Amino acid sequence: MVLFNWKGNNQGLRAFHVVGGKMRVILFSWEYPPRVVGKLASYVKELALQLAKNGVETFLVTYHDYLAGEFEEEGVKAFRVTNPVKTHISVLTWVLTLNQEVERVAANIYYRSGGRVDVVDVQDWHFIPAAVTLKKAFNVPIIYSVESLEDHRSHGANTPFNMAIKSIEWLGMYEAERVVVKSEWMAGEVLRIYQVPETKVRVVKPEKESWLKTLLGIYGELCRKEGSTYG
Amino acid sequence: MANYAEKKGLLMADQLKVMMFTWEFPPRIIGGISPHVYYLSRNLAVKGVKVYVVTCDFPGAPDHEVVDGVEVYRIDSYKNPSPDFASWVYLMNMNMQKEAAAIVKRLGGVDVFHAHDWLVATATIGLKHVFRRPLVATIHSTEIGRRSGLHSDYERMIHETEAWLTYEAWKVICCSNYMLSHVKWTFGLPEDKLVMIPNGVDVKEYEKNDIDLNQFRKRFALPEEKVVLFVGRLVYEKGVHILVNAIPKILEKVNAKFVIVGNGYMKGTLSEHIKRMGFAHKVLFTGFVDNETLRNIQKCADVCVVPSLFEPFGIVALEAMAAKTPVIVSDTGGLSEIVEHDFTGVKVYPGDPDSLAWGVLRVLLDDAYANRLRENAYRVVLERFNWEKISQQTRNVYELVLNEYSQAFWA
Repeated sequence: MVLFNWKGNNQGLRAFHVVGGKMRVILFSWEYPPRVVGKLASYVKELALQLAKNGVETFLVTYHDYLAGEFEEEGVKAFRVTNPVKTHISVLTWVLTLNQEVERVAANIYYRSGGRVDVVDVQDWHFIPAAVTLKKAFNVPIIYSVESLEDHRSHGANTPFNMAIKSIEWLGMYEAERVVVKSEWMAGEVLRIYQVPETKVRVVKPEKESWLKTLLGIYGELCRKEGSTYG
Repeated sequence: MANYAEKKGLLMADQLKVMMFTWEFPPRIIGGISPHVYYLSRNLAVKGVKVYVVTCDFPGAPDHEVVDGVEVYRIDSYKNPSPDFASWVYLMNMNMQKEAAAIVKRLGGVDVFHAHDWLVATATIGLKHVFRRPLVATIHSTEIGRRSGLHSDYERMIHETEAWLTYEAWKVICCSNYMLSHVKWTFGLPEDKLVMIPNGVDVKEYEKNDIDLNQFRKRFALPEEKVVLFVGRLVYEKGVHILVNAIPKILEKVNAKFVIVGNGYMKGTLSEHIKRMGFAHKVLFTGFVDNETLRNIQKCADVCVVPSLFEPFGIVALEAMAAKTPVIVSDTGGLSEIVEHDFTGVKVYPGDPDSLAWGVLRVLLDDAYANRLRENAYRVVLERFNWEKISQQTRNVYELVLNEYSQAFWA
């Protein structure tokens, strides 16, 4: 089912008009089927499929131990990278070296697409460093989609390890154009923990039927259009 | 030169733009990379290369300044809490990379990225791909060499990061033939990827005559004592414990004061050991000293000892030679190439206190011999290890890389 006609004029969708054709979105997620760690994988899968179905040129960059490469999966262009550094002392160091491979692949997407990516949507904290560098280098707007926060995952733990992850989450909150959360409760938590300006935070409830429409609206706000910051 | 400029429609109409990454740059000085990048960058600037140095911040130093034609950017490097040193390095790289990305965008691009050691590996590898510009890496030292092997996941992780940096680099520069073959063997690199460009020393630094050295010397030793100098971090690989174990043998024959400059984790153990040997009055730990004090100590020392067990280059030996102080080095690594035995210094067996004592006594007991070494060493420094020559060789590497780059799809 096609939810949107990108050139359509109904439902106030003019904002989605993208100079030069389809909206082009890159999703970053550290889990995506067949690699499933938690709940995020199936959500990102559904998101990617729906975006592709609805006329968004959808790229997905994720990690896999050995299935590295480029895949066309039901309209989604999936890129799986592996970590060049195999030995690690924590998930923190693992993530921080993996980000360079995410950057490499994302840059390849960017150059291959003639230097235009409309939105980078980074799911959780893992690939925030890559997203931020891409924003600085290419002026691409980034969205930080929050599945969970370190403060809840390691409740009350304030070791330097936890604080380092929180500082990366903070960076994402600070640099992102929009912070997308999945519930009103999480919106409150984001405001409470990271003092994000309220105007930046958007709630998209995946259980609601209109979730995709809401999310596309958020993407659309950031798309390059006449008079936009980006371009 | 014109070749790649034409093909790539280059940003640099007339000037080669290099962005250099280092975790230390004056006034932040931790080891040898700081002075290396300082001299290399300013001499490249003299040669007409536009150099941007991106480095860690330091209290009191500005975020952005122009030093001798080199543009220096200091980034916030203690922003993120870190559980350990390696995690700090990776987090610092995250900040360094995003700041550098913004700078490159603002500048409209640079031609080459140049990384110094694994400490800036992740920042530069990412930038290489994001901006599609070639990466040159200088490997000053390796984890496997520093630790004499890999003994933990922590060390293996750093080792693999170093390997990755050499893999991503277009060319890898090493400061000695020893280091070149070590890096080639350690990371399995092809021969034609490696370039040897020695480290250098600026003799002008030692020509200043603004203080009374005799007066200055009294801060460290009695007039009748010979000064035996060690400069370096007090860590295992620098072999400072070999010198400490040579002290009794040396003191049997001459009255000397051992001046140990630098800090490190071995300091406590060493000074305790010296106390138990009964030589506390014969050894002076100065800790870290500023550049000017160091130059003056080097000038008034009677002999400078470099007893390293692992030494990629051995800049302190070169500095002593520039200061006209005879050097005793362990016959290992880069030191073997800097010093020619009996001509520009004395070589001794690595890890052997008796051999080291023999070398020190040889110089301290024979003034004519010592003077011969001083003169020869100084001449060799002027001929082989001057920054003018070294920066030209480095510039040649950039141009070679850019010529190849112009003929490639990209990397």
